[in-house]
Amino acid sequence: MLKFAAVILAMLACAPALAKDTGLVFVSNEKTNNIIVIDPKTYKVVSNIKVARRPRDMHFSADHSMLYVACGDDDVIDVLDVAKLQIVGKLKTGPSPEAFAIDEKRRRVYVSDEEGSSLAIIDLDRDTIMKEVPTGAEPEGVLVGDEGKTVYVTSEAGDLVHAIDTDTGAIKHDVVVGLRPRRLAATPDGKELWVTAELSGEVDIIDRGRFVVTGSVSFLPPGMRKTDVTPVGLTMTRDGKTAYVTLGHAAHVAIVDVPARKVLGYILVGKRPWGITLSRDEQTLYVANGLGDDITIIDTKSRKARVSVPVGRIPYGVAVDD
Amino acid sequence: MISIARWASVLFSLAVAFATAAAQETSPASPRPRVKIGFVEIENDQRYEPILAYERITLKTREHPYAGAELGVGDTAVLTRVLPADFTLERIIAKSSADVAPAMLAALDAGTHFFLLDGPAEAFKPVAATLRGRDVLVFNVSEPDDSLRRDLCAAEFVHVYPSRAQLMDGLVQYVVSRKWRDLLLLQGPSPADATTAAALERSAQKFGARIVANQHFKPGTDPREREQNDPALLSAINRDFDVAFVADNAFDFARTVPYRLARPRPVVGSIDLEPVAWHWTWERNGAPQVNSRFDKKSGGRHMEGADWAAWLAIKMIVQSALRTGSADFGKQRAFILGDGTFDGDKGLAMSVRRWDHQVRQAILLAAPYEVVAAAPIEGFLHRTNELDTLGDDEPESPCHLQR
Repeated sequence: MLKFAAVILAMLACAPALAKDTGLVFVSNEKTNNIIVIDPKTYKVVSNIKVARRPRDMHFSADHSMLYVACGDDDVIDVLDVAKLQIVGKLKTGPSPEAFAIDEKRRRVYVSDEEGSSLAIIDLDRDTIMKEVPTGAEPEGVLVGDEGKTVYVTSEAGDLVHAIDTDTGAIKHDVVVGLRPRRLAATPDGKELWVTAELSGEVDIIDRGRFVVTGSVSFLPPGMRKTDVTPVGLTMTRDGKTAYVTLGHAAHVAIVDVPARKVLGYILVGKRPWGITLSRDEQTLYVANGLGDDITIIDTKSRKARVSVPVGRIPYGVAVDD
Repeated sequence: MISIARWASVLFSLAVAFATAAAQETSPASPRPRVKIGFVEIENDQRYEPILAYERITLKTREHPYAGAELGVGDTAVLTRVLPADFTLERIIAKSSADVAPAMLAALDAGTHFFLLDGPAEAFKPVAATLRGRDVLVFNVSEPDDSLRRDLCAAEFVHVYPSRAQLMDGLVQYVVSRKWRDLLLLQGPSPADATTAAALERSAQKFGARIVANQHFKPGTDPREREQNDPALLSAINRDFDVAFVADNAFDFARTVPYRLARPRPVVGSIDLEPVAWHWTWERNGAPQVNSRFDKKSGGRHMEGADWAAWLAIKMIVQSALRTGSADFGKQRAFILGDGTFDGDKGLAMSVRRWDHQVRQAILLAAPYEVVAAAPIEGFLHRTNELDTLGDDEPESPCHLQR
């Protein structure tokens, strides 16, 4: 394992010059165990990279030289070299890693292990699990806040969001949210945490200071019913003004005015959209349609879908190297 | 702030509290209210007799769903800090169906308001009569009988286990969606088989399937009765059919049907493709985690429909306390029967139908090693909630508990 870490370190040292802003779009596919790489201009598939089984959440290293991919059925995070488009290493995790967050300053990865009902704290350089914090059943969304001092994690089956002290590994606070909380986003002012509640059909808004729910945003695209609306993925613009939320069963993305907590509109996408990512210039939105086996690429200005691109089976997430 | 050690000790003391709950009504160390839940089953319940071949070989073992209830209570451990009460489970084993109502009445008088009833249909009527109007909710966790929903129609019951109508509607939606509209019905001699056949006829009519022939089989190996006990001869009819439906609750004939029909046709009903409340291979909606937690809890058993229903019943009781912030029975009941929505790991949010207190839910269509589809099948639409395309919708139901 040390060898892997050394390889990773070596890559980190030399890679940035090679792999800057390739613009490439990476899609993880749960059932075909691969990462499909798409050229953002031609929408052509330029690479198909085999990874460990059931790849789900993905994050870049800060310099974008590496892409980390959590692979749920092999209990690892695969490390993909963005310049070479090859797997160059892996990190061991707890059972069934789903989502994770990286704290590069502390050289740590926080991973939700949905089978183990725990949050694993992993030392990125030594490839060791430093601590496993017990969480509510089926933990999913992970977000690092307070300059690395706190990590937030949702428990899908417990209807909870935990705030965990990263130094001690202790749960500082719990807050009860809607049914089946999935993923998290933080407003850039550090004041609010937005969490999708899949079976309540809403996003709940948590005041991070008091750690209580202070409001929620409900969705209802035209022609849909309340029960069809199952929000899962969300992303926010850097100015904290706009959020985009994927609505699962309802096959739409909602556009939300964050300060006003109001829905501005809906964009029709594919079947069961979950994963959602904004390009760096925030002009393009990428949506993974889990049961459509494709991604929808959306122009955020016109709020219209530009194109759909077929990928692997059960696409989970999208990451853009830009 | 709670340290890991403190948290672990909270978990441990909680486990101890569960274990000693029956013996220990109130603990001086814990001022928290305690919500008691009774799990009622019947000794020698025929439904749990193993299914045997030649009286020697076990084809199917069948277990009471107590482990499902235990899993439900175990799942509350992490919620201790946010729940207004602790939950304890008491297993009550009645000697016969007739002993169920007195046992529940005694427990109610001793302060238990929530019960999971794991009994056959005949156990429900005396329970309804004995508990009518009392502050009690009885969750049916294993009996699909439609007459409990339609005719008995008691406000004290919540049917978590799907009705036979829901199960059958799910299966018929699937075959119709595949355009397998012409069904050959192979019906057994028992009253239960007649009930199954009647449910199929009702669902077929509802969704536009046709029963092209109803062949009554007579289980056995007597060569003089081969016209009635040989699947090939029973299915050698002039009319073509798309799929054979076997109504055989005894199972001994059903297991001889696949691969022995006169035509190469799929088999559904009592074997091969069965409509179920739950399946150990369901892989969506967080189900793998529930299945593996159950597997650990039960010592390696696969989670069955009744286990799932017992687990969800506990979850409904716990949710009602969590969402109302109260251990007050009246508030909990109002939540469960009113606006409460529940996550049963089958996709769409579940809730209780106000007319007959049936939990609206998806139905899984399971082959032995794979869930082939989940109903409602795409395209079957409903004006308010697609889950109400399955089972008795309000206009069809003779039961009107709350208007």
